[in-house]
Amino acid sequence: METIIFISLLFLLVFCIMAVMSHSLLKSAIYLGFASATLGIIMYVLGAKWAAVIEVSVCSGLVTVIFISAISLSSMKKDQIQRHYNDKKRMAYLPITLIVAGVILVVVALTTDFTVTGSAVGIAEDFREVLWNERQIDVLGQIVAILVGGIAVDVLFRSGQFK
Amino acid sequence: MNYLDLSAEAFLLVPLATIIIYNICPKKLSEKYFYVFAAAVAIIQIIASVSMFYLMNVLHMREHNFIFLKVLGKSGMGSLCITYFSPVFLFCIGLVSFASVMIAMHTIDAKKTHYVNLLMTLITGMNGMILVKDLFSLYVFLEIVGLSSFVMIAMFQSKKGLEGSVKYLVMSEFASIFILTALALIFMQTGSLSYDAVGSFLLDGAASSQKMMIYFSVILLISAFAIKTGAVPFHSWLPDAHQSADTAISVLLSGIVIKIAGVYSLIVLTRLFSGIEAVHVTLATIGILSIVTGALLAAKQNHFKRIIAYSSVSQMGYILLGLSTGTTLGLIGSVAHVFSHAVFKTTLFTNAGALHEHFESLDINEMGGLQSRMPVTAFSSIIAFLSTAGIPPFTGFWSKLLIVMALWTSGNPVMAGAALTASIFTSAYFLRLQKKVFFGPLPDRLSEVKEVTGSIKFIEILLTAVTITVGVLFPMILVYLQNAGTI
Repeated sequence: METIIFISLLFLLVFCIMAVMSHSLLKSAIYLGFASATLGIIMYVLGAKWAAVIEVSVCSGLVTVIFISAISLSSMKKDQIQRHYNDKKRMAYLPITLIVAGVILVVVALTTDFTVTGSAVGIAEDFREVLWNERQIDVLGQIVAILVGGIAVDVLFRSGQFK
Repeated sequence: MNYLDLSAEAFLLVPLATIIIYNICPKKLSEKYFYVFAAAVAIIQIIASVSMFYLMNVLHMREHNFIFLKVLGKSGMGSLCITYFSPVFLFCIGLVSFASVMIAMHTIDAKKTHYVNLLMTLITGMNGMILVKDLFSLYVFLEIVGLSSFVMIAMFQSKKGLEGSVKYLVMSEFASIFILTALALIFMQTGSLSYDAVGSFLLDGAASSQKMMIYFSVILLISAFAIKTGAVPFHSWLPDAHQSADTAISVLLSGIVIKIAGVYSLIVLTRLFSGIEAVHVTLATIGILSIVTGALLAAKQNHFKRIIAYSSVSQMGYILLGLSTGTTLGLIGSVAHVFSHAVFKTTLFTNAGALHEHFESLDINEMGGLQSRMPVTAFSSIIAFLSTAGIPPFTGFWSKLLIVMALWTSGNPVMAGAALTASIFTSAYFLRLQKKVFFGPLPDRLSEVKEVTGSIKFIEILLTAVTITVGVLFPMILVYLQNAGTI
């Protein structure tokens, strides 16, 4: 099981770097989708099955679709968007920063006791129970957040160019 | 259902219902009367918060728990709570939103539907943050506030607006990462993110690794909420975002968003982790840095809105200083300064809206001697400045006095002295602003300038009346609250 996790972590790192470093906006969105899918696999292997399902369906599926829709809805021509995006300077030292940060996190993880303690043990309840009986207010909040996202796409990408 | 529950439910239901009703209405009607819908929600919010404040004091309640939408079943849509200082925040949300709508009537020509929808989601987000009693729910509603704000800054398709919005978005994303990491670590230790569970988690009996994780989480949370507050050294996004947005949006950002997203979250944090001394020291350090740096940077600016944006950075410092004491007096001082700041900063941004009708660039070097041409704007601006500088009897004086008293009585005379001394900086940059804009000889090219009319003039008069009236009545309000046992 650990082998799957380590291989997935490696893929996750590669997809994340590709998403940031890619010179194509569309490819960046797709790499981000792959990264989310890989994260979903890690979550599933670690036992967080509901979280994995949501990660894959929402973050990897829905969010990628929204990104691609937003790029398509933009009134600016695609080659113009691409030119703007190509002109942006990339942080050449970003991969090195990420690797150093990763090494620090691994050292912290190996030297710290992250065992779930106290009352947190044994709280794994049925996902539906938690979502519909305990966290209804968060569900309402997330519906409003999605609404704001919809308004954002409409107001920012559908009408006119930025002056 | 009693009146308290009804008022409490209205804070979430009214803006959400308005979104539905407003979007069902015919397009022509909703575009023409957009301000009626938005102003009605703000007025309902003001009435509900005032009546809630009154009822909680009459009933000697420090806290009121209720089930949201209990009609849907036993547990409704979740358990929410109103504390004794919540009505002040809810009132400020209503007042500043009302001012924003009045300014929008003058400044917004297009995208009125989007403005109303986003204002409603913003109000829902802010109200939700005040009412929830769980750290994860606080984060969810904080994200709604952030999302609505980013879109509102960029919605008028100006490149400056987009730049300001992106800066705010990037900084906020860091805040989100910090909050989520901190919540995960806290959840690992406490097994719940409800305020009760986190507040009752005892550090004394915890293992050193548990303590380390809690301390690390608190550092992350303070950094995240300081970003949202615009406190130094996390302030870089604030002046750009406030300057680039339409005045109707700037007034919301400076008047209320930074207070709910940042200050209110920090209040929750200080109440949950009051036993950690480092929290108080960190807040005091950030507070004093913000006061001095914000004031010094404000003194260097020439753009009217940029000066008052940096002034917000400085004034947030006073609020953080009050919170750093960890005492009830400090908390009351901070909440009072939230109210004072909401009123005088909204007045000053309304002044910016009035001046923008004649000065596109809002460069104070292009203005001068406007006192004779715009007497109402000049008078309201001077009253707001006096309140900001802490001159009696205006609201700003009382709130700053409470903060200084809290610092003094909690054994921080140096901080109290520093806070008092920093008021001189406030006076310095605002005197420069007033002198350049309203005093001195009137240049010939400005002889045609006329006083603003309509809703902007109305809101200038209303807010000035609030500053004066509440300032004069402030000692009586404090005595009333003390007699009622609320404070």
